[in-house]
Amino acid sequence: MDASSEKEVVLKLRNIVRTYEMGSELIHALCGVSLDICRNEYVAIMGPSGSGKSTLMNIIGCLDIPTSGDYSLAGEMVADKNESELADIRNRLIGFVFQTFNLLPRANILHNVELPLIYGGVPKAERRDLAEQALERVGLKDRLTHRPNELSGGQCQRVAIARALVLNPSIILADEPTGNLDSKTGNDIMGMLDDLHADGQTVILVTHEDDIAAHAKRVLRLRDGEIESDVTKDERSIPDAIAV
Amino acid sequence: MKLLVDVGESLRIAVGAVTANKARGALTTLGIIIGIVAVTMTLAASNGMQQSFRQAAGSIGADVIYVSRMPWVTINDFFTFRNRPNISLYEAEKMVEAFTGAAIVNPTIFGRQPLKYRSEVLQDVAIVGTSEKMPLISGQVPEDGRFLMPFDVRFKKNVAIIGKDIAENLFPAADPLNKTINIGPYRYQVIGVMEKQGGNSFGGPNLDLQVFIPITSFVKSFGGRRNTNVNIAVKADSIAAMKNLEFEIIGEMRRIRKLRPAEDDNFSINKLDSLMGAFNSVFGAVLGIGLLVTSISLIVGGIGVMNIMFVSVTERTREIGIRKAIGARRRSILMQFLFESALICVLGGILGICLSILLTYVVNATGAFTASLSPGIMLSAVIVSALVGIVAGLVPAYKGAKFAPIDALRYE
Ligand SMILES: Nc1ncnc2c1ncn2[C@@H]1O[C@H](COP(=O)(O)OP(=O)(O)OP(=O)(O)O)[C@@H](O)[C@H]1O
Ligand SMILES: [Mg+2]
Repeated sequence: MDASSEKEVVLKLRNIVRTYEMGSELIHALCGVSLDICRNEYVAIMGPSGSGKSTLMNIIGCLDIPTSGDYSLAGEMVADKNESELADIRNRLIGFVFQTFNLLPRANILHNVELPLIYGGVPKAERRDLAEQALERVGLKDRLTHRPNELSGGQCQRVAIARALVLNPSIILADEPTGNLDSKTGNDIMGMLDDLHADGQTVILVTHEDDIAAHAKRVLRLRDGEIESDVTKDERSIPDAIAV
Repeated sequence: MKLLVDVGESLRIAVGAVTANKARGALTTLGIIIGIVAVTMTLAASNGMQQSFRQAAGSIGADVIYVSRMPWVTINDFFTFRNRPNISLYEAEKMVEAFTGAAIVNPTIFGRQPLKYRSEVLQDVAIVGTSEKMPLISGQVPEDGRFLMPFDVRFKKNVAIIGKDIAENLFPAADPLNKTINIGPYRYQVIGVMEKQGGNSFGGPNLDLQVFIPITSFVKSFGGRRNTNVNIAVKADSIAAMKNLEFEIIGEMRRIRKLRPAEDDNFSINKLDSLMGAFNSVFGAVLGIGLLVTSISLIVGGIGVMNIMFVSVTERTREIGIRKAIGARRRSILMQFLFESALICVLGGILGICLSILLTYVVNATGAFTASLSPGIMLSAVIVSALVGIVAGLVPAYKGAKFAPIDALRYE
């Protein structure tokens, strides 16, 4: 949007290490990742299986805590937070989209999208309006009372996106959002993420596919828990912006 | 606000969870139902007994002070009372004199004698020697004939007023009025039949199996000095006046007996109050033991609920992960499961109460004893079952609440 203005860093990772203990064995999922991501960036994280992409996403999304290293999100040091403050951060600042959708099977779509609002303490009347607006944005306004098992995979993922954006978070995290979808449906979903980015959202996604990654403006490659390359596509995006 | 929204959602989840697993919930509830029935029936039975006791004790009169040789309720110092003198008719008459115009005083003596009319014999009947003031104290009046008059007492007349059950037993066909009966070896004329008193469910004396005769005649017929022991009833104007009256009675008795200031009273003052107090403390202990025993079944029911809650938490681990990923705090998850177990138990409690209501009817219909369910008992049953649910749910709910979000999300 306005590339000319000073970019605000929303997400700052320094030397993030995450090791898992499996019995006596130590698994180094991330070995010192440092990374800045600015407001309204569109980042794709790629890399072979087991390279630590999901681990990184979970740490960014405050679902997991790094073994060592500093992480600040929207100016706040995550390491200083207690359980319920972390829950709050996940609620307010982060919208998560999972490969397996992770909707509540017993709740209808409207309620699924209302859930972040409930945990955010939004009163009932407002809640319904906001949830309906979010579902309208993903084109599912006529399905409010359906349950997830009555929808296609693509529709489920759209519900998940509506749920992720309903509280207008600082970043949207999508871990292989198209991994369980055919390529046409996948493209629909990517179109939606593109729209969110165009509307000013910061979007980070994990993918194995080059043509999905092509939607992003910056591509990060991981290998064995380290950043192998970090490429921003200046040629395409900056000239457009500068031309304004 | 946030908490309120949280509570609403937790309740909604709890209702959803319980309705989704009806069969499982029903089985679990069974334990709670049995526990609640056991506890409420204990309470209902004790409540019924208490009511019967009050009814029976009601004839004693709350505003009457009794002067007797022995206290009604002795705990363990029986021997200190053993050497007390009987209260004589002479002392009783002095008391009547002393309180004339101030309070109603009625002396009575109890004894047991066989009763005979022609071929009909009743063994071991309660004979009450009393004065014309008795109806003013106990409220019992004759339905046929008349009660004692002052001259009956004064001239030691051999007249008797018989209880309703005695009338029916001794005179199955005839009218008892003016018939002559034998009380022990002595001949008495029946001048009245008392109204039916009833209300004898507590196993107390049957008030309809009594015969009233003038106290003077009683002493003349049956009283040696040794077995003449008078009880003196003094009726206060009001409950409020009782304290003062009690002091006056004690003072008067001491004066009549010429007790020196250093000497203890050698008579006892008895009131409904002290009887109720003793009853309540004994009764409280019995009830306590009953509740202790029955609450074991409730605890067993609670353990069943705890078990089911562990299953429920494990089943919903992934759901916990999803909720936490989008911002649920530990508190929210904790509440969700606590409400679920409380709901299961309250449902069990309500069903248990319904069953208890039914059982109460059955018990009372059989007449074995009276049970009485009060709204208070039902309310406390609901509260207790909710508490059992919360306690039973605590550990499982805590287990669910402290899952790390990422582990819960990965759970298969
Ligand atoms: N809970 C865990 N316990 C132990 N090891 C784990 C755990 N989660 C991840 N790992 C290990 O950490 C490494 C990184 O895993 P991660 O899930 O981040 O990979 P990924 O890049 O997302 O792979 P994929 O493309 O297959 O999703 C792997 O070696 C994995 O085995
Ligand atoms: Mg992954």
